[in-house]
Amino acid sequence: MRPRVMFRATLLMLGVTALTLAACRTTAQTPSMTAAEAIDARQKLMKEQGKAWKDIQDKTKAGQIAAIVPDAEKLASTSKQIPGLFPEGSLNPDKSLAKPEIWQKRADFDAAAKNLETWSVKLRDAAKANDAEQTQAIVKDFGRQACGTCHQPFRVPPKQQ
Amino acid sequence: MCLLVAWRAPVAAQVTPPSAAEVARGRYMFGATGGCGCHTPPKGQPNAGGRRYDGPYGTVFSSNITPDRQTGVGGWTDEQIITAIRLGRRPNGERLLPVHPYPVFNGMAEEDLRAIVAFLRTTSPVTKANQPKKLIPMFESVFLPAWLAAFAPRETPPPKAPTAGVPRGEYLIRAVAHCGECHTPRTMTMATDNSRFLAGNPKGPEDQAMPNITPDPETGIGKWSVEEIADYLGSGNKPDGDVAGGLMGEVIEGTLAGYKDLTPADRTAIAQYLKTIPPIRNKIGKPVK
Repeated sequence: MRPRVMFRATLLMLGVTALTLAACRTTAQTPSMTAAEAIDARQKLMKEQGKAWKDIQDKTKAGQIAAIVPDAEKLASTSKQIPGLFPEGSLNPDKSLAKPEIWQKRADFDAAAKNLETWSVKLRDAAKANDAEQTQAIVKDFGRQACGTCHQPFRVPPKQQ
Repeated sequence: MCLLVAWRAPVAAQVTPPSAAEVARGRYMFGATGGCGCHTPPKGQPNAGGRRYDGPYGTVFSSNITPDRQTGVGGWTDEQIITAIRLGRRPNGERLLPVHPYPVFNGMAEEDLRAIVAFLRTTSPVTKANQPKKLIPMFESVFLPAWLAAFAPRETPPPKAPTAGVPRGEYLIRAVAHCGECHTPRTMTMATDNSRFLAGNPKGPEDQAMPNITPDPETGIGKWSVEEIADYLGSGNKPDGDVAGGLMGEVIEGTLAGYKDLTPADRTAIAQYLKTIPPIRNKIGKPVK
């Protein structure tokens, strides 16, 4: 290979690497976000996910299996954002139901977010194949196995009054 | 040899192992109680006890109910286990605290209790000593007997468990799933206020507020359909897209079994019964959507 071609190839690789790293940093850490912004953003995201999940349940009951693909895709894509929306220092019991365990057991929390993505992809693929039986079986367990496994250890239940 | 045969025969007759169907029924009823989750600390070994409960009485820890002979209930007879579940007495006569809800479990049909015992004997034994309780002075000798005599509700066991419809739902809610223990508010005496049955408890177990599940449309679950309630018990999915959390999440998931394992017919029966109880306006925290 000629030196000029090698130089261009190296530049291109460096550029791609820099862009990839920048993208990862943006989605995983959101460093510019204040604690208040992070709380707002994650609550908004959870509401969007709750709406998508409700649509999935309604459509499944109505037998509209293929129609849930975009909702499941939304859950899969937004689940990637979850770890980045819980930066260090964003624990605020007055504004948020996030438990301190999120930061104490960070690897478990990140795994729980990944688990949501895995379940969402499984659901999307079953719906895309228009497999009603498989989709219904996944929907039956999804709330407990995809959402509950994170909410149970990491979300504060309603407090005594 | 004849003597040996003659000696063995009656023993064999006494110790008839439970049928697979009875064990399966026991597992099912165990799930209908919520999986006896009080006996399993979060992420702990099922039924091995040690979950902590604080109250005005002091501190108690749930017991090991695995079939371990030294530290669990493996050395107890069926009658002794049933007496503990239903009447709150250990084989040595010691009284259990009604943190174990024996006043309501007393309403379980004999056949269901026997099936639960048969199932418990098939579970894995765990050697784990029970932790000693720390009670206020004279609680067991004076206060507890007086409280039980004065305030403890006591269900009446039916000769046979109802099998379908609203009566089945009532039986499951009152005597098996013991919903009132968490969802019914308590009076100053700590007895359940049954004039407000299932109207929500702002001071529920483990520092959690328990929602109003009467059919009141604003503060209860009056806007939920029978199908939505039945779905919730089987899946944890709320009609608004949220999922069950806290203790309700635990009892739906269960331990070795839970509410999620109830048949659609039983979940529907529970939902139908909930629609028949009086709606009571009682706002507990955020309204149940």
